[in-house]
Amino acid sequence: MAAPANPQSGRTPLDEVLLSGYLDGTLSQLDAQRVRLGLESDAVLLQSFRELRLLREAALSTRFAAPAEIDWPELPQSLPSRYSRLAGWLLVVGWALLLLVIGIGELMSGRHGWLELVLFLAMPGGLVLLFFSVLLDRIKSLKTDRYCGVER
Amino acid sequence: MSVDDAVIRDGAPGPETELVRRARQGDRGARDELVFRHRRQVYFLALQLLGNQDDALDVSQDAMLRFFANLHRFDAERPVRPWLFRIVRNLALDLFRRRKVRQAESLDAFDDEDGEKPRLDPPDPSVDLDRDLQQSQLRRRLFAALAKLTPMQREIVVLRDYQDLSYQEIAEMLEIPLGTVMSRLHGARQRLRLLVEGDLKALAG
Repeated sequence: MAAPANPQSGRTPLDEVLLSGYLDGTLSQLDAQRVRLGLESDAVLLQSFRELRLLREAALSTRFAAPAEIDWPELPQSLPSRYSRLAGWLLVVGWALLLLVIGIGELMSGRHGWLELVLFLAMPGGLVLLFFSVLLDRIKSLKTDRYCGVER
Repeated sequence: MSVDDAVIRDGAPGPETELVRRARQGDRGARDELVFRHRRQVYFLALQLLGNQDDALDVSQDAMLRFFANLHRFDAERPVRPWLFRIVRNLALDLFRRRKVRQAESLDAFDDEDGEKPRLDPPDPSVDLDRDLQQSQLRRRLFAALAKLTPMQREIVVLRDYQDLSYQEIAEMLEIPLGTVMSRLHGARQRLRLLVEGDLKALAG
């Protein structure tokens, strides 16, 4: 872990990685003593250590809000039930889209009256519009995401 | 209660071990109790790793499901939380691999009651309001800066500095040597330090 000796000074420069170990109290007595001596004699090192400590304190003291009781998703009893739920949603959406396409085709053919078509199309059309609105909200939130450009 | 405390408490033979055994036998009450005990901490870890509340809820739910799906393989004598944390970590990594997670850090992610937002009426009149505000700002910037780390850097900072796991626990969870924990953690902290340099200088100075 230690850095190579400095040939000019004859002293072994402190490996900065040890600062994290010292901060976390995981170093051996010998390494801890080396860090203490380094901190006493090196103002830059001391500044680094203080900033690292502030970082850790800030992280440790951060409190996050848990979701409200109502926001916790209901836990399905098993993976199969979850996949069944997903399949169910896909079926409903597929059914609504199919019905809508057929209805529009019938509308274009002119064989049915308006009332008949409204009765036929209202339900699937409404469902499609609801899904579409959710999709629009999702797209909008992605566009306004402050960290959208952050690559990992 | 710190995570360490929780791990120690959960690791003790007693209610948790018994709960796992009962849950394994299909006891719905035991399952609910396990979910209730761990869901907050599981959610917080997911939130810290992913930075996004919706993803965190999804991942924490998936983690619970996988935990129960594999309960027959789990040693009831062992503490539950490290096992759950490992599942969350793997799911978060999967999510990163599948898509680039968009970081949508929101002010709502913080807890209003625990001093995250500036207190206008501090209970202790000797509290330094300026410093309080600076610390609050540092916490927010720090959390936002996590998004700029690589997933590998982020997870180690989250496990150590947000979840307060020991080096040993982190080494076991990530399956890396102790020395690597220290060097990887230090690299990640240095990167964070650069990202919030201004706030740190204001507080340290």
